Amino acid sequence: MKFFRAIIGYFIAGLLVMSIWNGLVDSYGIAGGYMAAIIIIGPMYYLNHYIGLIDIPEDHAFVDMAFGIGVAGIFRDIFMNGFEAFTSTIPTLSLVIIGAIIGGIAAGLIEENMEKEQDKKHAFKPADETPGPKYDGSESNLK
Amino acid sequence: MTTGQAIATMVGGFLFPFMIRLSWGKLVDDFGPIGGWMAAAFIVGTVWTINHGINNPMITQSENGAWIDMAVAAAVGVYVASIVRGGKVKPSMRNISAGLSGGVLAGLVLSFFL
Repeated sequence: MKFFRAIIGYFIAGLLVMSIWNGLVDSYGIAGGYMAAIIIIGPMYYLNHYIGLIDIPEDHAFVDMAFGIGVAGIFRDIFMNGFEAFTSTIPTLSLVIIGAIIGGIAAGLIEENMEKEQDKKHAFKPADETPGPKYDGSESNLK
Repeated sequence: MTTGQAIATMVGGFLFPFMIRLSWGKLVDDFGPIGGWMAAAFIVGTVWTINHGINNPMITQSENGAWIDMAVAAAVGVYVASIVRGGKVKPSMRNISAGLSGGVLAGLVLSFFL
């Protein structure tokens, strides 16, 4: 069931982005791009990742709905223009993937570093947790 | 594609997942679901403008090639970042295959009417 839920999530995201986005950009230019981001990515993020149509447990590697969008864009053109469309796009594809891997590693390491600093700031312990000498009053020093 | 364009394409791929990973989750933590819309507008909208929107965009598409959306970069980068932070690869294969199926299906349906 979770598998089919996820398929529907990636499917709708890919379907909406790879059709409406171009339409809005053709009509309104860059403003259309912003509109598309708000009216497509906003609700699709809400449905897929906020409500959780695509189930991603916390300890699993995160497969963003962008994966469905990216695959939809590539396969739309393959179905429309034949498989050569894929072979000729390999340079762009590989460059984008290399950049993304570097970006992902950098973001992960930076996030880790930020959390370490945050922990240091908030880490405070009571100075002393063991009861003081003669705490129970059995042998009082007070005379 | 010139060398300069190739470097710019790579930097475009760097930019998008980097910004998503570091700020999207925090925006949602701070503003609730509306933070997701803010992220959509200010991260996706703005990075889309430089990567695809302007006349000479950062991501140069290959001639006669299939469209490489910056979403590819988001998917790869966010995936890698979550692995760096200890996400497990093996159980994520369910969503990878779901994403492939959903994406191919969407591409097929799109090719029927576009």
